[in-house]
Amino acid sequence: METFLPNALDDLLIRARPAQGAPPNILRVLHAVHDLCGYIDPRAIPAIAHSQGATEANVAGVLSYYPSLNTQPAGRHRIQVCLGESCLANRCVRVVEAIQSKLGIELGQTTPDGQFTLEPVSCVGNCAVSPGVRIDGELNGRVRPSDVAGLLDRYR
Amino acid sequence: MSRVRLYLSNDTSSCAAGAERLAEAWRQRSDVELVRTSSRGAFFLEPMVERDSSDGRLAWCHATADDLPKILAGDGGIPVSSIPFLSKQTRHAFATFGVTEPLSLEAYRAYGGCAGFRKARQMSPSAIIEEIKTSRLRGRGGAAFPVWKKWEVAATTAADRKYVVANADEGDAGTYCDRMVMEGDPFRLIEGLLICARAIGAEAGYIYCRQEYPVAAACLRAAIRAASEAGWLESDGQPFPIEVVSGAGAGSYVCGEETALLESLEGRRGVVRARPPHPAQSGLYGRPTIVSNVLTFATIPNILARGGAWHASMGTEGSRGTAVLQLGGRVKQPGLIEVPFGLTLRQVLDQFGQGMADGARLKAVQVGGPLGSLFTDAQLDIPICFDAFAKADAILGHGGIVVFDNETDMLELSRHLMAFVADESCGKCVPCRIGSLRAREILETVQRGQATEADLSLLTELGDTMKAASLCGLGARAPYPVLSALEHFPVEFRNRMRS
Ligand SMILES: Cc1cc2nc3c(=O)[nH]c(=O)nc-3n(C[C@H](O)[C@H](O)[C@H](O)COP(=O)(O)O)c2cc1C
Ligand code: SF4
Repeated sequence: METFLPNALDDLLIRARPAQGAPPNILRVLHAVHDLCGYIDPRAIPAIAHSQGATEANVAGVLSYYPSLNTQPAGRHRIQVCLGESCLANRCVRVVEAIQSKLGIELGQTTPDGQFTLEPVSCVGNCAVSPGVRIDGELNGRVRPSDVAGLLDRYR
Repeated sequence: MSRVRLYLSNDTSSCAAGAERLAEAWRQRSDVELVRTSSRGAFFLEPMVERDSSDGRLAWCHATADDLPKILAGDGGIPVSSIPFLSKQTRHAFATFGVTEPLSLEAYRAYGGCAGFRKARQMSPSAIIEEIKTSRLRGRGGAAFPVWKKWEVAATTAADRKYVVANADEGDAGTYCDRMVMEGDPFRLIEGLLICARAIGAEAGYIYCRQEYPVAAACLRAAIRAASEAGWLESDGQPFPIEVVSGAGAGSYVCGEETALLESLEGRRGVVRARPPHPAQSGLYGRPTIVSNVLTFATIPNILARGGAWHASMGTEGSRGTAVLQLGGRVKQPGLIEVPFGLTLRQVLDQFGQGMADGARLKAVQVGGPLGSLFTDAQLDIPICFDAFAKADAILGHGGIVVFDNETDMLELSRHLMAFVADESCGKCVPCRIGSLRAREILETVQRGQATEADLSLLTELGDTMKAASLCGLGARAPYPVLSALEHFPVEFRNRMRS
């Protein structure tokens, strides 16, 4: 098991062991691993379980429950399109279509060159300047389908 | 050279509308002193640049980087006080928005911040709870439960430890006021937590912040650091640690439900717990815990500073204080609106929304997030207050109002909303877990043109079962938007039936 765990992950899991008397927190460790690696390799489940004194089934259960804990690496750039009601009312579907046709992928997919991952989000709280598209943490408001090409080109 | 001080909002939506581009363009200039403030919430005018004048602040709306010479010369700005969208509001929780720098404790104090906590420190816990009782404040997270009742239960339940948790999951699509508080006035939330902690005798606080709000989480952490350095984070002479738990919910909507939130905070699957016991009796790690919405906490400081009677003097019989509404969708003027409870939905849409966006006609209005009922034009005269909405089988929820226009496909909207519930169901109870899935399938069958009348009857029946037998609000409310769409726009469903 140790053989494929990168050192940084090893260190993280040692530090994540609950202090004497403190309760374990599987989700917190999963987030820490996700932050470190960008995703959670299912092969790390036994080590995560061990660090929290939990069963592997327990860890796998928590991991599968939360939608945005990825078990596969994402693309270099993460595009999140908001599908909240205000964005829907302002025709975000057309923006999604423009991105899909520009990148040739569907929602939830990554481009074959590993550059972009396209994800739906249920609301980013940007409803007053919708539709919203977030790329690598940068939020763009009032996005029109005709803006898409220019937006994406900034990340090429 | 003297610098002209310009104010520009740092709020995420202002930045998304272009404020950040202006900041980038002007940051290096020697003739500009850029002050980044919270947002006034008049997002339809953003990006909006302000400067001081003898008439108070002047604003340049929809500003571009090329407008700078004009702004520096003082040409063409309009007094902020003359913007009807803002001047017609009654701002209390959001009084300093657009005025102050979010992370300046000095500014927070200068505009009356900390006064509530100072008062609370001179009061006994039961006197604080009495003041909240007088205020008749009801929770702003959706369930509208009287705040004092929860506090009293937590205060009188004996335990070795107690907790205060701010619910910053703000999952309802169409809502953003919690985000604005956390980004724009984080000390107000902290002050609310401290007052609650003193009232119930809590030893630690958590802010459970959704992952879609990274800027809010960063602001909160910075504010907590500043408050701690100022010696302000204490309760009853003991340090009172507040931890921001950011992104734990990892995109799960149901994690905003208070018991699922607590499960998630403890590191497990965010599955709803059966009640009783309520969190106020047995919450985080089995200890008495107050879980309340961000806006609820942010409303507390003013109540302590100005008195419960002051708060109770605003609003309607059952809904005291101000309603914080967030207007979005196809209106001319989307943005944040704080007004006393009691205005009708139509008045809000007309006076603040200023009608529909160009060329659009109103079809339906959804109030209260993805679980909220749909209103047609004929139903807009309902007063905005908890009781009128409850009577209409609707919810005010967290104050989100989304306006849909005539191009909206109500069947597709219904399918979208039911698919959302099916995805988000925590799976604990059958009516929601299976019901939402079946309801989604039926709507898809209608879309494919293969449904019969029997399918629509089944949809209604399923909805009734979900309403009656679901364990939490997700399953219990899910049928409302869909069934109200079916009721008001039957043709859009029946036209696509198998003939
Ligand atoms: C499915 C579901 C999602 C919820 N999401 C939130 C939320 O995102 N934020 C929130 O404050 N309350 C949410 N609630 C309500 C909470 O369960 C709880 O009533 C609220 O946090 C209590 O705070 P309050 O008394 O200040 O309103 C949700 C409820 C349900 C059933
Ligand atoms: S109604 Fe849905 S979300 Fe709520 S407890 Fe039941 S299965 Fe879980």
